[in-house]
Amino acid sequence: MIATMETLNDLDAPTKSAVIDLLYRLADDAIIIGHRGSEWTGFAPILEEDIAFSSMAQDDMGHALTFYQMLHELGEPDPDTNVFGRKLEQWKCASLVSLCSKRDWAKSLVRKYFYDVAESLRLESLAQGSLVPLAQLARKLSSEKKYHLMHGHMWMPRLGQGTDESHQLMQDAVDTLYPHALGMFESTGADDLLDQAGIFLREDELRKRWVAAVDKVLGESSLKINAKASPVYGGRSGKHPDDLATLLDGMQLVYKLDPSAKW
Amino acid sequence: MNDTQWPVYEVFHQQARGEAHIHVGSVHAPDAQMALVMAKEQYCRRQACVNLWVAPASAILATDYQDGDMFEHATDKSYRESWGYKTPKTIKKSKASDKESAK
Amino acid sequence: MVIAIDPELNQLSKEECERRLETFEGRIARGDKVEPTDWMPQEYRNQLIRLIHVHANSEICGALPEGKWIPHAPSFKRKMALLAKVQDEVGHAQLLYRAAETLGASREQMIEDLISGKSKFSNVFHYPADIWTDVAIIAWLIDGAAIVNQMMMSDGSYGPYSRALKRICYEEAFHLKHGYEMVVTIAQGTKMQREMLQDSLDRWWPPIMMFHGPADKVSKHTSMLVQWGVKLKTNDEQRQQFLRQFVPKMLDLGLKIPDPNLRLDKETGDWLYTEPDWDEFKRVINGGGPVSGDRVATRKLAHEEGRWVREALSAAAANQPIPMPTMTV
Repeated sequence: MIATMETLNDLDAPTKSAVIDLLYRLADDAIIIGHRGSEWTGFAPILEEDIAFSSMAQDDMGHALTFYQMLHELGEPDPDTNVFGRKLEQWKCASLVSLCSKRDWAKSLVRKYFYDVAESLRLESLAQGSLVPLAQLARKLSSEKKYHLMHGHMWMPRLGQGTDESHQLMQDAVDTLYPHALGMFESTGADDLLDQAGIFLREDELRKRWVAAVDKVLGESSLKINAKASPVYGGRSGKHPDDLATLLDGMQLVYKLDPSAKW
Repeated sequence: MNDTQWPVYEVFHQQARGEAHIHVGSVHAPDAQMALVMAKEQYCRRQACVNLWVAPASAILATDYQDGDMFEHATDKSYRESWGYKTPKTIKKSKASDKESAK
Repeated sequence: MVIAIDPELNQLSKEECERRLETFEGRIARGDKVEPTDWMPQEYRNQLIRLIHVHANSEICGALPEGKWIPHAPSFKRKMALLAKVQDEVGHAQLLYRAAETLGASREQMIEDLISGKSKFSNVFHYPADIWTDVAIIAWLIDGAAIVNQMMMSDGSYGPYSRALKRICYEEAFHLKHGYEMVVTIAQGTKMQREMLQDSLDRWWPPIMMFHGPADKVSKHTSMLVQWGVKLKTNDEQRQQFLRQFVPKMLDLGLKIPDPNLRLDKETGDWLYTEPDWDEFKRVINGGGPVSGDRVATRKLAHEEGRWVREALSAAAANQPIPMPTMTV
């Protein structure tokens, strides 16, 4: 029988570290995918979709903010300092979100869908978990994910099957991104502790569920995955593609003019 | 080349259960399902909404503004309204003579 | 002043033109809105399409200078607010193109005209946003100037435009407060921040003074739009309203307005100012501004690179219906 933890103060020291590790992964993925989404604002292929994509980027940034706020409650820096002042090697996001997909709608859409399925599964697991404040937060956030999934489920088959050109571009995007998507489930030292404490599923279990969900929708979209693809790991331990360095340079540009200033 | 001139879908939102759906605007979309995806954030990103409808604009048949006067009432229609009726404050008791005359 | 309409343009006899015009103008005089299926002078239709088209173009081009700074916003709040604001601009473009479409214009054609440089957009978006504080000045003063214009137009005679503008004004209220909060925060900040803000104002002031359009004595479009209740105030009246509303606040914040002739006429309450350079205005809105070419090129690129997406959606819609998706994994 796993004991329920009513507050963050109920965490013992090793479990607390594991929760911090998990929250960084969730938060960093969310802010970076949100940032990537916002790169389409004003550039999307359809006016109405421009608005939809911007809203989802705001949702993702909002999710990130709540995770950083919880990190702050656990003694980590405040959200702004954490995001705008942190060095590249301290980031824990997966390479899936770090990759630049500017002006590539197929990659942006496939990446967003891969991420949304993963985040939904993560939130579902947290919502059933033993750490009450995190479970409550996860239940609240998962409502916004419904639209993101609906969006992905509408778009994937239409572009997967629309024209030969769209099919090819989507297949290329799937081929490029799938190994990075698997990299989201890179296990960290926190896996066992989180599992034993009943807070969060193990990454390999989440990966199984993710593959099953994604396979189904890709199949319905006439898109194939390479079952032998090997995951691209490194993000969870601070090893990132150059694209993330470029992103952070841009994101932290104004903040770093004077980190003590208010804008 | 006519690629963004998709059909127009009219958008209706319902702000709370029990209320009527209200027309809020329209979107271009390739099909009805995409119209829902497109409409959700353009029309419900701020206001409360519990349910959203889309319908092809082409499915709507409207009256002509020129015939707007057909909605006006040319004669007294107050008999359709509650305010068209008087309710006396007291009800008079029926008289005994009424009973006799009824016999 | 009475405007006569052209029978040939309206494809009606002179008598019929006069008869219909009387009904049309009577409706406007009563304060009733004109709706898309009503008869309206072709002159009114053409002027409105031009006006709404330029307005829609301005919203979508207005998304570019600010959109450029979303990736660089220095805090969570600023990042999400700026994203929401630029999103609104795109949303406004959607609403406005829809309003123009009710007059018979096609959205596809309007976008084609924008990216081929055939149609215009607001003068202010032909200038670059070089530093972060430009975003604050744009959000406060350009949105402020736009609200003066849009509030006035939202009472105008054409129903669909008026409806779109009511919603737009509601959203612009957030832009204005977001802009003002940024300006106030920066104005109370470090020396570097205040210098950046002043630099932004110095560059943006001349285009902002031109925002409401040429002085009344030279504006060729104003009279007809005023006559038919589309514009309820002249360009100069709008400019004056903007100055009355914003100059005192700017001075309170310690900003220096870069116009040596700017002063209050105590008798009339009007602000006196150096007449903007209307030749520059003309040159800029005709595509001769510092970044006019970039703006159009960016829109063109976005439109063309999105073509395969729109074609795929059209093809998918023409095929079998795709079942309604689930919302959960």
